[in-house]
Amino acid sequence: MTTTRFTGITLQPSHTIGRAEFSGPGFRNPVAMVRGEDDTMYVVSRSYDYRPDGKRITICTLDEEYIGEFARGVTTAGEGDPSDADGSLIWPTAIALDSEGNVFVADEWLNRISIYEGDGAYTSKWGTQGSGDGEISSPSGLAFDQDDNLLLVDCDNHRIQKFTRDGQYISQFGSKGDGDGEFNMPWGITVDRNGDIFIADWRNDRIQKFDRNGNFLMKFGTSGSGDGELDRPTGVAVDKDGNVYVTDWGNDRLQVFSAEGEYMTQTNGDGSLSKWGKEKLDANSEMWQERDIAQGLERERLFWGPIAVTVDDDDNVFVVESARSRIQIFRRQVPVFFGGRL
Amino acid sequence: MANNDIALMAHLMRRAGFGASYEELERRAAAGYEATVEDLLNPGNHPSLEMDVLERRFVDWREMNALEVNQAYWTYAMINTQRPLEEKIALFWHGIFCTGNSKCEHGRQIKLQIDMFREHGLSSFRDLLLGLSSDPSMIFYLDNCMSHKDAINENWGRELLELFSMGVGMDGESNYSEDDVKECARAFTGWTITNAIPRYPYGRYEAGFIYNPSDHDEENKTFLGETGNFNGDDIIDIIARQPSTARFISRHIYNFFVADDVQVPAWQSTPPRDEEAIKLLEDEYFRSGYNIGSMLRVLFNSDSFKNARFAKVKSPAEAVIGTMRVVKDYTSPKPGLHNLASNIRYMGQDLMNPPTVEGWHTGGEWIDSGTLVERINFAADQVGNLELPGVQDMVARVGSDGPATAEQVVDRCLELLGAYELADDTRAQLIDHVGRGGDLVPGTPEFSLRVGQTLQLIVSTQEYQFA
Repeated sequence: MTTTRFTGITLQPSHTIGRAEFSGPGFRNPVAMVRGEDDTMYVVSRSYDYRPDGKRITICTLDEEYIGEFARGVTTAGEGDPSDADGSLIWPTAIALDSEGNVFVADEWLNRISIYEGDGAYTSKWGTQGSGDGEISSPSGLAFDQDDNLLLVDCDNHRIQKFTRDGQYISQFGSKGDGDGEFNMPWGITVDRNGDIFIADWRNDRIQKFDRNGNFLMKFGTSGSGDGELDRPTGVAVDKDGNVYVTDWGNDRLQVFSAEGEYMTQTNGDGSLSKWGKEKLDANSEMWQERDIAQGLERERLFWGPIAVTVDDDDNVFVVESARSRIQIFRRQVPVFFGGRL
Repeated sequence: MANNDIALMAHLMRRAGFGASYEELERRAAAGYEATVEDLLNPGNHPSLEMDVLERRFVDWREMNALEVNQAYWTYAMINTQRPLEEKIALFWHGIFCTGNSKCEHGRQIKLQIDMFREHGLSSFRDLLLGLSSDPSMIFYLDNCMSHKDAINENWGRELLELFSMGVGMDGESNYSEDDVKECARAFTGWTITNAIPRYPYGRYEAGFIYNPSDHDEENKTFLGETGNFNGDDIIDIIARQPSTARFISRHIYNFFVADDVQVPAWQSTPPRDEEAIKLLEDEYFRSGYNIGSMLRVLFNSDSFKNARFAKVKSPAEAVIGTMRVVKDYTSPKPGLHNLASNIRYMGQDLMNPPTVEGWHTGGEWIDSGTLVERINFAADQVGNLELPGVQDMVARVGSDGPATAEQVVDRCLELLGAYELADDTRAQLIDHVGRGGDLVPGTPEFSLRVGQTLQLIVSTQEYQFA
């Protein structure tokens, strides 16, 4: 008799969204996404540093219907004072939706949060560069808590700050270091159903968990490339059962941990041709022929720069790949028999 | 510390690197000249760039496919490296072993070649040629992937001999024949690359080198007087032991690191500018087993090198990076890096995209009325920007001894920029100009402004264009 250890979940490849574009259907160096109402999603494209035209927020659906895009990319050169360009982006990092569907986007160069309506109409901004209470330096992760307050990963201040939606400072926790509750350039953040807070403690190669008041609860992960080890974790997400998903950026993989922080499984990606990708190839048929003879096409399945992860209520797991301008979607499955045929 | 020690160190750092701030010059001069040469020749003793942090802020660097992204990266690396000779030797080989994005259309693939120069550029020339022969971007750029055993394409075979190792001739004689070119090409049949994945939908992937034995010409070849069933690595072994290769590489090293010589096509009939220095390098080439680092060690410690201050025109990369290292801008990630990198192109050196396989003509040919204006405007904009930390450092140092005469301000500025020397007439004019503004009182905004203007005047001189 053969036994296989029960790992809790499996990740079934679903489909892939995206293609590399500076505008229109597609993304360019995407860094973050968030699920919206119904089957919509918002994707933040960072673009090449010298191609501000590719910086944008794309609205599309899970089955890759392009709805639109908003926010204008600018560079510091030739744009005058960038702070005058309300709603524009230079180095966008993160995105979150409040309970009313308003879109909050962090920019780590401008040190500001830009706020848009769900359809992309600009409404307001806040953020002051600095290290004092309520001041920020390179915001790199955003998540709303259950009270509709915004938790902001204040990367270069190595701390987490909490604000009201209009930017009023509430509280903070964390400082620079590698002890419990300390951070080294933290990046991704998520809040689970209990209100607990998970932080991708990027340069400490670990995930830390806190309660809603910022009290340290637990940590997991050490530097390395083995099972459960991390190399610069960027994003973190928690599903409805408490399993924790981590984009292991330096190792180009997604790892899944139990609610207790035990390693469960991982994937190096299983990308497929997206709908937008097929449309592009159909419009450039010689590329289909090139693909027929291309060597190493299997590399296309693998993650390259997994930078953010999201899990929705329908068990879809979204992995954003900055270096491949796409999002790989997996279905979380529990392998335990639930009925039906053998 | 003797000014001469600083001046010599500034010279070494301009040539073996891209210049240095005055604090670095003082530190290195205190460590000693020969110790600094050893330090430069062992780049692995210093940490490389923190790519995790850089890829976090320059998100496009993780993929680094576009030419412009690569140019920005290389510019940043040259400014901030703690291994200046590693970047300088990569630039040296890139100027000889040219591969261009205009044909390859894949910046990342060329970057991998530059990385190979970084890794092996100071080691065996034979190994370097072997790495080049199996480099996918070079194989594509010079069509060796289109060379087959029953229908050779001689492009790679020809340029390997003419531009990459031996040169057309020396001492008035030819170094090889047309038949040698064809035999060389035959030996490299089967050295090819994999078929590429198209750029859509998700972006390019790097190509791989493959050796295809079924497409390799297994017949005997006669190359430079030797006959056998040669493969590509046999050809490289033969090339590496040729006196003409020692001469050719020595002249390139001299032209790049010591003093401007005539352009490469003239080397067949024009003797080296400094035959003694070339002989020194040739001897070390053979003594060391073709080791480039050993050749540079001998060179940097030679009087020929030490006495060759300001004997060459800065390349555009040297002009831009040298100024940036002094003014200390872009020492950490920030937007706009591509605009900075573009200045190198505006001055006539489109990195990773040379005009032809011959690369760039150097020396005085870098300069024309357009590129000279670019150089002066760029450097003057930088050193005149009183907000930059390196400029502030220089202002503070100029004023550190209290009120100064115009002559003291001019001489101190020359020293701080890297121990530059002006023609007497030019220096006198500068002193006269600076003196017209009245007393120079440190700590005042006017003092900062006038020091900044003095720096601007210096970088606008002919002398500042020389390294």
